[in-house]
Amino acid sequence: MAHGFLEVERLQKSFGGLRAINEVSFSMERTEMLGLIGPNGAGKTTLLRLITAVLRPDSGRVRFKGKNVVGRRTWDVVNQGIACTFQNMRPFRRLPIIANVMVSCLSPRAMKRGEWVKRVEAKAMDALEFAGISDMALEKASTLSQGDLKRLEVARAIATEPELLLLDEPFGGLSPAETDLMAQSIRRLHKGGRFGRLHSEGPAMIIVEHKLQQLMKIVDRIVVLDFGTVIADGVPDEVVQNEDVIKAYLGEGGI
Amino acid sequence: MGLLGFYLRKAYTLFKNQILVLPSRTAVLLFALALVCLPLFTRDPYLLRILIFTAIFAILAASWDLLSGFTGQMNFGHALFFGVGAYCTALLNLRLDFPPWISIPIGALGAVLTGLIVGIPCLRLRGTYLALTTLAFPIILMGVVFAIPDITGGELGISGIQRLSHSRVTDYYITTGLLLILGFVMWKITDSKTGILFHAIREDEVAVRASGINTTRYKLYAFCLSGFFAGIAGGLYAHIMRTAGPSTLEVALSFQIVIWAVFGGIVSIYGPVAGVFILYPLLEFLRILPKVRMLVFAFIVLLTLLYMPEGLIPWIRDHIEKECPRCKIRNVAFRKECRVCTARLD
Ligand SMILES: Nc1ncnc2c1ncn2[C@@H]1O[C@H](COP(=O)(O)OP(=O)(O)OP(=O)(O)O)[C@@H](O)[C@H]1O
Ligand SMILES: [Mg+2]
Repeated sequence: MAHGFLEVERLQKSFGGLRAINEVSFSMERTEMLGLIGPNGAGKTTLLRLITAVLRPDSGRVRFKGKNVVGRRTWDVVNQGIACTFQNMRPFRRLPIIANVMVSCLSPRAMKRGEWVKRVEAKAMDALEFAGISDMALEKASTLSQGDLKRLEVARAIATEPELLLLDEPFGGLSPAETDLMAQSIRRLHKGGRFGRLHSEGPAMIIVEHKLQQLMKIVDRIVVLDFGTVIADGVPDEVVQNEDVIKAYLGEGGI
Repeated sequence: MGLLGFYLRKAYTLFKNQILVLPSRTAVLLFALALVCLPLFTRDPYLLRILIFTAIFAILAASWDLLSGFTGQMNFGHALFFGVGAYCTALLNLRLDFPPWISIPIGALGAVLTGLIVGIPCLRLRGTYLALTTLAFPIILMGVVFAIPDITGGELGISGIQRLSHSRVTDYYITTGLLLILGFVMWKITDSKTGILFHAIREDEVAVRASGINTTRYKLYAFCLSGFFAGIAGGLYAHIMRTAGPSTLEVALSFQIVIWAVFGGIVSIYGPVAGVFILYPLLEFLRILPKVRMLVFAFIVLLTLLYMPEGLIPWIRDHIEKECPRCKIRNVAFRKECRVCTARLD
């Protein structure tokens, strides 16, 4: 049975009269690193939410490892192996950071895969260690800076040990130095292996990002969205030469 | 002999380092001891009766905290579980002759079932809508109670139920003992991994789902757990009163529960318990001023909440203890250094 890792077919989603996602189709392989770019409001976040079943599409299909995603519950999809971060970080503000990550570690997927890890805290701690905020494990999430919240989002997502990781602007709000660190972590994660008690499958990733220069160093393919449609899909160097892409970006930059 | 001495010394060290070290824990211990020892000093039936009801309502308020405080599912109709517990227990005792120690837990299972039935329509609601919907359920059930008086006794309720025990002191020990045990169990639940998920669901349900947690299951779980403990309180109430009537479903009771819990301090279990132990006897005591009783009561509650918006107990705790900025362990307020990591406090 030949089926792709992730297949998105003619996906549509409207909010009221606004077509946020219009006939989007693409597919990706198990080992791929995909960059998803586009001007503000292009529908990138909406696309990620459709893939994780947070939103339900008006029509179209999303298949993950041959299984339909549309109509399933978000937690089902996450336990199937897709994890995502939120662009506008959504931590549990009044809980300590470690507890934020423990929630992910308590998901059936994480529990099943870490059977030899009796202590959920230890695994959560390793996820924090990987994200680089383990020193603040006991602080309340409300005390974190923007950059650290980004890392918390990443820690929460990888704690479920996904096979497909969706990162929504992982560099947003980070300083250049922090961006480099984050990019390095992402590359290490993609390579896979063991980080303490946390196991990385070497997940495929879809990375939404506005910092193109940084993004180009990590991904090996870029999909460009504009007004909810895919206007370009290819290797990074080609895509940035593409006329439609330049127009879309310049049109935005001209405002 | 040497072995016994060893264990005694070990127990003493544990006791000193785990309980005496924090004023809040010492206070809980003293509270439990005081409850247990009280009948040795006085057997005044009026006082015992008040304390019996206080203990029952404390279980009820704590069970509300489990659902509404921790899990954030605002329930303004918590009397529903209390009433179902009371009616089920009463019917089981009266019709099937179940003794109290069977009728109460099975009656509470009735409340669990209610939690499931009520929880399902509530899954999609939150905030004000949830509060309004939950408010309606006990009113609906009261309508049902009046509609089938053959079974429920209608307005008069079901009477002629067996007493909880043969003496008031035993009643007292059963209710306060259950309060201490169930209170501890509830506190343990909130302190467990499930407790973390309850907290997280209150904070941001969408993010919990995105972490791979079946929020539906855990919300229903919270409804059922809360229903169980409230149902036990209802069953105890029925056996103490020897009737189960529509008053157990009243809107006023639902609001009373919220007031007790908020006054004591929600998201803590011990806060609502303390709230009931202060407010319920207070309201009884205020009977000496029959005309202005409710006014004075409302005034006291309002003033407290104005100055202690988090509730009384968290306010007190924050004044007698402080958290170490480094390791987040709590310390007595007068300590200069953290008792664990020796970081400077303040
Ligand atoms: N829940 C919603 N209800 C109504 N409109 C929405 C909703 N979510 C997104 N939109 C609209 O859909 C369009 C696409 O939004 P989306 O957040 O996917 O863009 P984006 O590509 O992620 O942009 P950005 O780069 O700013 O993050 C926008 O015009 C937005 O206003
Ligand atoms: Mg976005």
